[in-house]
Amino acid sequence: MAVGSEEQTHKTHRSRQSGPSARKKEKSDKQKRGIANEKHNPKAFAFRSSVKAKRLQSHASEKEQRRLHLPVIDRSTGEPAPYVVVVHGPPKVGKSLLIKSLVKHYTKHNLSDVRGPITIVSGKQRRVQFVECPNDVNGMIDAAKFADLALLLIDGSYGFEMETFEFLNILQVHGFPRVMGVLTHLDKFKDVKKLRKTKQRLKHRFWTEIYDGAKLFYLSGLIHGKYPKREIHNLARFISVMKFHPLSWRTSHPYILVDRFEDVTPPERVHADNKCDRNITLYGYLRGCNLKKGTKVHIAGVGDCQLDSVTALADPCPLPSVAKKKGLREKEKLFYAPMSDLGDLLYDKDAVYININDHMVQFSKVDGDDGAATNKGRGRDVGEDLVKTLQKTKYSINEKLEQSFINLFSRKPSISSEVQFNSNNTMKNESENFYFQSENGEESTSSLEGDDVEQANGTEASNKETMQDGSETEGNESDESDDESNKSSEGDEGSAKALNSDVKEVTEFQNGRLRRRAVFASDEGQGSDKDDVDSDLSVDSDDPEETENDWKSEDQTDDGMGNASKWKETLVSRAVSRQTTNLMQLVYGKHSSKSINTVQESLGSGDSDDSEDEEFFKPKESSDKKSSERMDVDNFNAEDCSKIGADQVLRDDWSNQDIIETIRDRFVTGDWAKAARRGQEVEGSGDEDAAIYGDFEDLETGEEYDGQETLNLEGDAKVSKGSDLADEERRLKKLALRAKFDAQYDESEPMDEETDGKKDPQFHRNGGQDGGFLDKLKEEIELQKQRNLAELKDLDDVTRLEMEGFRTGSYLRLEVHGIQYEMVEHFDPCHPILVGGIGLGEENVGYMQVRLKRHRWYKKVLKTRDPVIVSIGWRRYQTMPVYAIEDRNGRHRMLKYTPEHMHCVAMFWGPLAPPNAGVVAFQNLSENQDLFRITATAVVSEFNHAARIVKKIKLVGYPYKIFKNTAFIKDMFTSALEVARFEGASIRTVSGIRGQVKKAVKAGQGKDGSARCTFEDKILMSDIVFLRAWTQVDVPRFFNPVTSALQPRDRAWKGMKTVGELRKEHNLPVALNKDSLYKPIERKPKKFNPLKIPTALQAALPFASKPKDTPKQKRQSLESLRAVVMEPHERKVHALVQHLQLIRSEKIKRRKLKNEEKRKAFEAKKAKDEQLSQKRQREDRKQRYLKEDKQKKQTRQRLE
Amino acid sequence: MKTSFLRLKGSQQFRLRLLLSTVSVTPIVIEEIRVDDSSPGLKPHEVSFLRLIEEISDDCSVEINETGTKLRYKPGILVGGRNLVHECGLSRSIGYFLEPLIVLGLFGKKALSITLKGITNGHKDPCIDTFQTTTFHILKHFGVPAGLELKIISRGSPPEGGGEVCLKVPIIQNSLSAVNLVDEGMVKRIRGIAYTTRVSPEMVHRMRYAARGILNRLLPDVNIRDGHLSAPLSGRSPGYGISLVAETTSGCFIFAEASACFSRDGDAEDMETSDEKLAPMLPEDIGIQAASLLLEEIKQGGVVDSTHQVKWVMTHGLLNGHILLGH
Repeated sequence: MAVGSEEQTHKTHRSRQSGPSARKKEKSDKQKRGIANEKHNPKAFAFRSSVKAKRLQSHASEKEQRRLHLPVIDRSTGEPAPYVVVVHGPPKVGKSLLIKSLVKHYTKHNLSDVRGPITIVSGKQRRVQFVECPNDVNGMIDAAKFADLALLLIDGSYGFEMETFEFLNILQVHGFPRVMGVLTHLDKFKDVKKLRKTKQRLKHRFWTEIYDGAKLFYLSGLIHGKYPKREIHNLARFISVMKFHPLSWRTSHPYILVDRFEDVTPPERVHADNKCDRNITLYGYLRGCNLKKGTKVHIAGVGDCQLDSVTALADPCPLPSVAKKKGLREKEKLFYAPMSDLGDLLYDKDAVYININDHMVQFSKVDGDDGAATNKGRGRDVGEDLVKTLQKTKYSINEKLEQSFINLFSRKPSISSEVQFNSNNTMKNESENFYFQSENGEESTSSLEGDDVEQANGTEASNKETMQDGSETEGNESDESDDESNKSSEGDEGSAKALNSDVKEVTEFQNGRLRRRAVFASDEGQGSDKDDVDSDLSVDSDDPEETENDWKSEDQTDDGMGNASKWKETLVSRAVSRQTTNLMQLVYGKHSSKSINTVQESLGSGDSDDSEDEEFFKPKESSDKKSSERMDVDNFNAEDCSKIGADQVLRDDWSNQDIIETIRDRFVTGDWAKAARRGQEVEGSGDEDAAIYGDFEDLETGEEYDGQETLNLEGDAKVSKGSDLADEERRLKKLALRAKFDAQYDESEPMDEETDGKKDPQFHRNGGQDGGFLDKLKEEIELQKQRNLAELKDLDDVTRLEMEGFRTGSYLRLEVHGIQYEMVEHFDPCHPILVGGIGLGEENVGYMQVRLKRHRWYKKVLKTRDPVIVSIGWRRYQTMPVYAIEDRNGRHRMLKYTPEHMHCVAMFWGPLAPPNAGVVAFQNLSENQDLFRITATAVVSEFNHAARIVKKIKLVGYPYKIFKNTAFIKDMFTSALEVARFEGASIRTVSGIRGQVKKAVKAGQGKDGSARCTFEDKILMSDIVFLRAWTQVDVPRFFNPVTSALQPRDRAWKGMKTVGELRKEHNLPVALNKDSLYKPIERKPKKFNPLKIPTALQAALPFASKPKDTPKQKRQSLESLRAVVMEPHERKVHALVQHLQLIRSEKIKRRKLKNEEKRKAFEAKKAKDEQLSQKRQREDRKQRYLKEDKQKKQTRQRLE
Repeated sequence: MKTSFLRLKGSQQFRLRLLLSTVSVTPIVIEEIRVDDSSPGLKPHEVSFLRLIEEISDDCSVEINETGTKLRYKPGILVGGRNLVHECGLSRSIGYFLEPLIVLGLFGKKALSITLKGITNGHKDPCIDTFQTTTFHILKHFGVPAGLELKIISRGSPPEGGGEVCLKVPIIQNSLSAVNLVDEGMVKRIRGIAYTTRVSPEMVHRMRYAARGILNRLLPDVNIRDGHLSAPLSGRSPGYGISLVAETTSGCFIFAEASACFSRDGDAEDMETSDEKLAPMLPEDIGIQAASLLLEEIKQGGVVDSTHQVKWVMTHGLLNGHILLGH
């Protein structure tokens, strides 16, 4: 801007005088002033025909009905697990960059490397987990199984690549989660028009693949090596409002996307044998449905395995606490990506690891101020307090040691409480640490006295107590307190470090390992790896009891009822008083945590040997003998009889009128008012208010209704209880309604977002009439859900865990023993691990029948018994299908090859999957294949233990003896036994004479296996006899799990080869059966013998029947054989005739030649003429058109 | 592939264990079946039940050791089937087989129709009429589709049996629905069947008269049907009995029965189960006993009678419904 100019003249605004914007403005102006709004003639759009109106109406309502879907029962409770966003695309398309940009957008962190799932709190109600889809097929299959939303990245400058379509197909088969396309590399286009055209083209291609209106996002280019902020923001917005619908397979199976993986094998075992079976732990959010106890899991690419222990951990990336404010605060923008080496906290079952930058925290004692300088901003933390108290030292180390020793062991640690254990553990660690320091003879700065230790623990405990009063998040808090203690020891270590540097290394080795642990097993340095394992070992060896705690839920305090600690006693008593009795406890006795442990142990051992000893509901048999009246429970050979009252002695004499009167009110003839009261009281007892239940039960069992007054007395009380019950019911209903409303609201929201927002108002408008049934259904479902919740709520946690399993959305730690070492060795965080729960009966193997169609883009047809790799459910395995087609009579006829454009039936052997599960088949998993890799898609129709595929077989035989209608057939069967099998079977000759197999010939007569058959007519010796039969085709009992996780990821998994591949490898020709070759058919003319009629008969015949056409003589007659000698004159004449004939023939020949020449000349001339005339015509036409054109132009000019 | 078996002990709840094992596809091993008994091992009716399961399922394997004290059962796929016939034997009545069979049939691949032969009205197990009058009504609460029916072709009393029934079970398409039944209601009508086999039809009237004598004092709507069958359709042994069902206003059914039979001395010896020699009761006593049992059940309260409790609880395993049981 020029400095001198005072007033710069801007160009004035000139409003449009014409064009669309001017017209629009004019219109709106008119509307504003309320003039000249054109009125439509209302009659113009009315129905003229009632038939048409009806048809339109029915069409509209049909469309409406088609839109409606039966509500899906959502069994998940609590907050959902983070949604998995899989970013997929061909290589070099910008997948990692997209994830990095999104992470940057959400958390303001720069990711250096995308490895493994990255969990991010994206909103107040929502967490998202980003996963990059690996480029190989195995990774794509697994990703399709856990994706909630797939972002398909497409290189706009190149167009679609096969990977995208392959992935889409896999997605479709495995339930089709949400899909959004993202176009990248759009900055390669220089030409705007071309860019627009390309966008249009790609969008439409994308729509045909998914649905019209599917969202395709455009990322226009790069700014500073990142995608533009605004576009990423928009994309994040799309992700955050996306509504996910439940997929049927996933809602019925639990699954975990592993975001942390560790090898916890004892290191000495690894040292001894590097290739020993490993113990691993897998961490991740539980998705799908609840994980029940005893569920086996399938680790994709590894195989089925038994879970050795499952522990619910505190959520490492929790949703922010609910507060009335808009948006997320910076502090709550958490993220968790242990595989990417990100995030500060790592939660484990028994410890929390904190990553702290050294410059951030200084816990060592600073002279003068009491630690207030370190963190001025916020109030002092409890953990910091602890550290500070540790630093305030008075006594020497010897004193401290003595006292701490005594204090430590006077307090026996109880086994059952994990919390307790943890604190003990840390204490031990600390004391160990001190031991070490004293050994070194150093003057310890952090000389700590035993009192202090105890005090610290005391504060910790009291701290915990206050926290646990709040209930809910005990697990979390225990961990927190744990991490505080860890922190304290870290601060301690840090101080030690600060003072003497030579101790430092060793201290690191002793204690520091706990904190600086790198999660990333494969990328770690050797030393830290060792440390890692070391720490795990120490944890393991410290407490054998620890594993027993595993099945306990996040709420550990309730299990530890037998705990000695004082502070818990009140809690326990309160819990007991609040404890409700449920039916299960009444029947099976009170659940003690001990029984769980025993079951747990047996679970662990069950993997190795067959003698597995788990029982679902262990009746309280020999353990407590108090149930003396229930003898049959103890007697495990009790008679199985459902009739309880059979031999029961009648308690009352029912002929007595008084006794009859006692139940008068149970009949319609009785007092209805009283009966109504009774009904209420009974309902009350049925409800969860267990105190009432108890009262009621006492009343009924303890004393019979001996009089009216007790009833009356009780009746008053019952009325109030009845009202309680009504309240409860109302509350449930309210909850249900609210949830329903929420669901609807959520549903309508994304509708607005998407292009079909048009439908939305319609939906609301006639929601009342169409959704009557649907609404009711939804309400019922919701009510049932609330009821179930209420029912489960009054169970104690252990029982609840037993009944319900681990709830979805909880963060679990799975420990699996005996995994092949290759998994650890070749672990690659870029290939996420999927752990899927196996449903009932899905671990069994059997024959599966699927409806299969070869993919139309796959080049070849598939051959029966050629191995293919299928992906069903969680699994991938190679198997050998036999293809078949269903005939009209329901028979499955084998096909050698799949039909070209049709569905067919395929049957193969493998682990069973429930009907309607999707199947996708591959022939080759290798990377470098330009073809489309998906060979077929299918859906499971049923499974069986027997294959029912047949093929046609024709048995051929030849008659060797023919009687009237009976013939003896040989070569059809090989033995009399075989004949016996086919007795009564229908046979047929080539000429079409039908017959039946009767019996085998007696031994010694004819060839073995000859059979007597009868026909409807006499057959000929030259006839061939067929027996058409069907024979069972056995499907190969072969399946081979694809263990892609047990080998280097860059190598393609190799399974069984097809016959064709083997031939190619070994350079073998295709085996040739000469009989199968087509040969020219030689049919010799049939020679019939002449009909000979005996002369005697001939003589007797009338003339009409006598043979008249006497056949030609075979031999030449004598006349023709006779030599002719001509006379001289005759010879002359003969010669002359011959000459004349010769001349004539010569003439004719010459004339023919001449004619030919003439014709040729004529044709040449004709062609020439033709050419000339064509040319002339063309020119004529040209002239004419020119003229016409000119005329037209002239007229136009004239008109204008 | 190795299969892991669930280990169980003793013969208690034999049918329930097999039923649950089959439905949940869990292989089981039952050990120590009556090891200390004078006649160890599986009873004929238990073996017969195993055969029945084998018949209606595909590829299940049953292994019993020589003494019959150990059983290894690997369930297959329930397929159902048509026109099956099963001989139930004479040690337990058909009711013993029917109870689990109905549930198994519901979870099959195809509808089941099977003819069962044996004792129709035994002592230890609910009689045939129970299923017709009560069990099927109860199952309706769970959303069992139409087509569940039981036809009595002939009756047979213990010890000789000779009864025959035809059972048809449909399959459930999606899943059973949860039931919320806490209102026991009031008894609005009582129905019943009094049957006789190979004794005079006069007995029917006597039993009926006695039962009505008690019930009519509480309710006028009592209707007891005559279930007498002619000689060729009434099995090989004499016997008579009565079964009563009370229906309440809320659609609950409460059931009680009583029966008498003449056991031959010779047969009673080789049947270990009938340790008490039953002297046939008078028809009047039978009627009174049945009516009293019914009233007892009604008095105890609950939406089902004691016989059906097991079934209810079991069916509820998956559903997590809400029912009220008497005690």
